[in-house]
Amino acid sequence: MHSGHEEIGTADLLGVLGRSLLIQASWSFERMQSVGFAYALSPVLRKLYPDRTEYESRLKLHLDYFNTQPYLAAFILGAVVRLEQDRATGLNTTADIRGFKASLMAPLGALGDSFFWGSLKPLAAVLAAALIITGSWWAPLLFLAIYNSVHIGLRVGVLFRGYRSGGDAVDLMSRYRFTYGARVFKVISLTVLGGILGVMPLWRQEFRPAVSMPGMLMAASGLTITLVLVAILRRGSSPVKLMLGLAAVCLAMAYAGVI
Amino acid sequence: MAMFDMHMILAVLGTAVVGALVGLDRTAVGQVMVSQPIVAAPFVGWMLGDPITGFVIGVTLELIWILDMPVGTFVPADSTISAVSATAIAALAYPGGAPLPVAGASILLTTGMGLVTMRADGMVRHWNARLADAIETDQGRDAESRLARAHFSGLALFFMKSFLLYLIFLPLGIAAVTVFQHLPQNVHRALSLFVMLLPLLGVALVVRKLSMKTVDLFFLSGFVIAAVMGQLFHAPAVIVLLLTVTGGWLGARYHAQRS
Repeated sequence: MHSGHEEIGTADLLGVLGRSLLIQASWSFERMQSVGFAYALSPVLRKLYPDRTEYESRLKLHLDYFNTQPYLAAFILGAVVRLEQDRATGLNTTADIRGFKASLMAPLGALGDSFFWGSLKPLAAVLAAALIITGSWWAPLLFLAIYNSVHIGLRVGVLFRGYRSGGDAVDLMSRYRFTYGARVFKVISLTVLGGILGVMPLWRQEFRPAVSMPGMLMAASGLTITLVLVAILRRGSSPVKLMLGLAAVCLAMAYAGVI
Repeated sequence: MAMFDMHMILAVLGTAVVGALVGLDRTAVGQVMVSQPIVAAPFVGWMLGDPITGFVIGVTLELIWILDMPVGTFVPADSTISAVSATAIAALAYPGGAPLPVAGASILLTTGMGLVTMRADGMVRHWNARLADAIETDQGRDAESRLARAHFSGLALFFMKSFLLYLIFLPLGIAAVTVFQHLPQNVHRALSLFVMLLPLLGVALVVRKLSMKTVDLFFLSGFVIAAVMGQLFHAPAVIVLLLTVTGGWLGARYHAQRS
């Protein structure tokens, strides 16, 4: 069983990282990311287990149901590489790798969804939208730069941290402070959203209603309409229904001669 | 006015290929956010000679769909297909710069596509499960080849889904928007206003998701900072937005210290 004794180096971990970019390429309702997880791990497993039967058995183990936030999957991948290495070299042959994956995937999924989808992405998008609305056409590049400087940096960092710590989630949390970051990003997004309305008179003409009114009044009108829409959304209306409703209101105003 | 000549057919095919490639970023590959409307729509608009329409549609749809998150088994509506389709429909139906009401009509048309894209995505994810099952049942090949084959077949399915949807949506949308120009002027005026109100709806949707309150203090603070600096001190928009970011950052730190 312990015939591999291969050292896992930086190049192997970078290989896992590269393959982890495709972790959701065959995402399915039944197995979710399991095929992608096994695909990312397969070159390392091949190196650790030269015996074909054992290699296939380990690969099959990693085809079990797996789903987490795709970026933070890198942490679990790094940790699993370490655990498989320890197993193959005889350092720790009793580690419950299946249980380890199962215990981490849900918490990291929730953490990653909240941080990346729920706060980093809105922050980058809100900043870029604010700049585009006021005429900075380069803002989509800023969006990509802000998002990916954090995303790619973290993806690389957590993979190596997962490998070094062997999957110590406490170490991960103390190093990256995802919850605090998410809170800060959300607050900044909210102030920038308010700022977008505050500079409404400075919007490019493609975005600004063609009405002549004092700047402050225009901004206040924008704020009022937005707060009314927030109140309607709180009553459970969906974005699609609200869009259709808005179109209907505009049509009614046009036919009533208001616009 | 749009004509389905060879140029148009090639443009539709090109948009379908580019849109499907960009769309892989949503789930299957990398998730570096090039598939987000704020990036994809201006890119396709630039490719088709109408970047302004791309910016208008991209910003609007980004704000509207940004917090529709892929959590667990939930598959959100494909905002990439909506943004790319709306931009391409407007740009191809009105070469040289689509008027604002046409952008509005395109957005309305693609809103209805959301349900179809969700169904199609669901089908792909069920097929992917069958591909994954084949890894364990097809014993004739090397395990690694079986794994790679299943994984990349999933990737191909994601691509084909988007490609085929574009081939259906784009010609239908172009035909519909071409008919749109014959509608009464009231409809054009209404849709012009509709497009200008959509950023407010977008802001409302993001505020609704980021804050528990209808009237959020950070949101209002951003508004006041921007209105005062932009209207009273006539500061440039970029400076005003930087001040709102700083205000948000300080507010978040203060809030964290207090709690």
